[in-house]
Amino acid sequence: MWLWYSWQSAAVVNDEGDVLDVEINDARFSVHGAKERLQMIAEGHLPPEAVVLKERFPEAKPTAHGSAELPEFDIPQPTASQLQVADEAALLLAKEGVAVSAADPDRRLEHLLRASEELRTLHLTMEARLIEWVGLFLPSARFERNRTQVAGKLSSVDSLSAFASMLDVEDAYEQPSDSEWKSLHDWATMVSNQGRQLDRLEHAIRVAAQAHLPSTSALVGPLLAARLCVEAHGRSRLARLPSGTVQVLGAEKAFFSHLRSGTAPPKHGHIFMHPWISRSPRWVRGKIARMLASKISIAARIDAFEGTPLSQDDVDEVEAKVEAIRKEFSKPPRR
Amino acid sequence: MAKHRRIRPVSETVLLEGRNVWTVNANPGIAVRGESLRKFRGVEHRRWDPNRSKLGAGLLRTRNDPSLLLPDAGSTILYLGAGHGTTISHLHDHLCGAKNRFGGRLVAVDLAPRCLRDLTYLAEHRQGLVPVLGDARKFDAWGVLIPSRVDWLFQDVAQAGQVEIFLSAVRRFLSKDGIGLLSLKAASERHTEGGDEDIFAEAIAQLSSEVELLEHINLTGFEDQHALFVIRRR
Ligand SMILES: C[S@@+](CC[C@H](N)C(=O)[O-])C[C@H]1O[C@@H](n2cnc3c(N)ncnc32)[C@H](O)[C@@H]1O
Repeated sequence: MWLWYSWQSAAVVNDEGDVLDVEINDARFSVHGAKERLQMIAEGHLPPEAVVLKERFPEAKPTAHGSAELPEFDIPQPTASQLQVADEAALLLAKEGVAVSAADPDRRLEHLLRASEELRTLHLTMEARLIEWVGLFLPSARFERNRTQVAGKLSSVDSLSAFASMLDVEDAYEQPSDSEWKSLHDWATMVSNQGRQLDRLEHAIRVAAQAHLPSTSALVGPLLAARLCVEAHGRSRLARLPSGTVQVLGAEKAFFSHLRSGTAPPKHGHIFMHPWISRSPRWVRGKIARMLASKISIAARIDAFEGTPLSQDDVDEVEAKVEAIRKEFSKPPRR
Repeated sequence: MAKHRRIRPVSETVLLEGRNVWTVNANPGIAVRGESLRKFRGVEHRRWDPNRSKLGAGLLRTRNDPSLLLPDAGSTILYLGAGHGTTISHLHDHLCGAKNRFGGRLVAVDLAPRCLRDLTYLAEHRQGLVPVLGDARKFDAWGVLIPSRVDWLFQDVAQAGQVEIFLSAVRRFLSKDGIGLLSLKAASERHTEGGDEDIFAEAIAQLSSEVELLEHINLTGFEDQHALFVIRRR
């Protein structure tokens, strides 16, 4: 026996499709009222009409409209005005859902991270051009050791000669034209602003990651935590990944090529950025990566379930393990 | 030059003109995604880009009467995997028309909030479009919006298990003799061995065991690795 229900009516039906009892609410719903009903159904609750029938037929199995299990029967239809109100309510619900998703920390973190990656790529390209460009006019200037300061300094002066004397190098033999200098100066200003914007983005990522992923951030730093989360398509997905996958997150290309054509599997993806791995001798990196990935999985689960974050002691313990591995395998394996 | 290409009406609001499909714009003056607008006999039409819509491509590719791929104007239909609403907008032109003069109802489900942002905006200007933020597999959550079975159902979710999702939607929501269209993306199925052809063959077998397969439309050229299956519920 079935207890069929929709958002404004319910019926008790036997396996043959006979309707034993029915509760139909043909009231005029407000859009708000209909929206509450639709929400109720979506969350798996019974509407009041079904609750009434459930008391009369406790053995009937509550089954939402549309279930494939239900027998064919004459389904009570909403009135035309109810149908119209339900459609308006559905639109309202959809809009609410969109608005709620705007607050989704996973998606905000993703935008921050992608924005910073895109800006960094652009910044490096533009900075390289700037240095070549200035170097053309001031061949005796050397920027290798202070590349990052060139943009700021150049944008703070109002002529190339001023820049030359600031650097204490010979002035240009051939001066740029007025508009050429202005273009160069604009370029430098942009590069210098990008540097500041990158800092701000990075700060925002840290703050967001520390709030959204406190344990993973404590363990591997907020920037790496953010990167892993975005790569996994969100915090709850990161928490569900097997640690073997966490270990190669960010090395997708190599990983799929391994699956497809049997090339060597990647040993580590983003987590390789972490100094515990990148500053270890190459023969222990795989071991440390494996251990660290399993700890990240644990941290990510704590984050996803919003449990008590890892303490500094917990993190120190992991670091001690890294040290132990390094010590145990301090010599390269013999071939 | 074929300045005057042959014009074939598919419905009151859809027409084929050479290799182009056009629909009468239900929201005059507004292009949904930058498509061209053009007047035929004084009525503004929007170009239905077959490279952006698998149904649009299907209308051009089908070996049968293209009108068989479209629902009846003024009916209620269910669309799973609505995306940003490209196909939906043309279906709406056909099904509902301006101010929903045909009285159609188009329930459009998608799981991605980003898509719903576009769909809800579209719905503001297109009466009869009912966007739903939901999972095509979680029928219990939104199925109450389809109080009686529909005669036309479309699915384009591009995710693993597409055929199974489609068949269960057909069982629940498609009327007897109703038409269902499944856009199948081979790359969404998790097969490591065997090519697209195997995936399509498997889909055909799965579909044929339960419904009548009317046509398998290969969309290569418009959308590679995609096929459109047209079925009728027995
Ligand atoms: C290829 S797009 C659809 C394009 C659209 N049919 C068109 O022609 O304009 C696939 C859509 O399916 C959605 N999708 C994927 N899995 C889904 C699911 N389980 N339920 C609902 N929508 C889903 C995705 O969010 C995406 O927008």
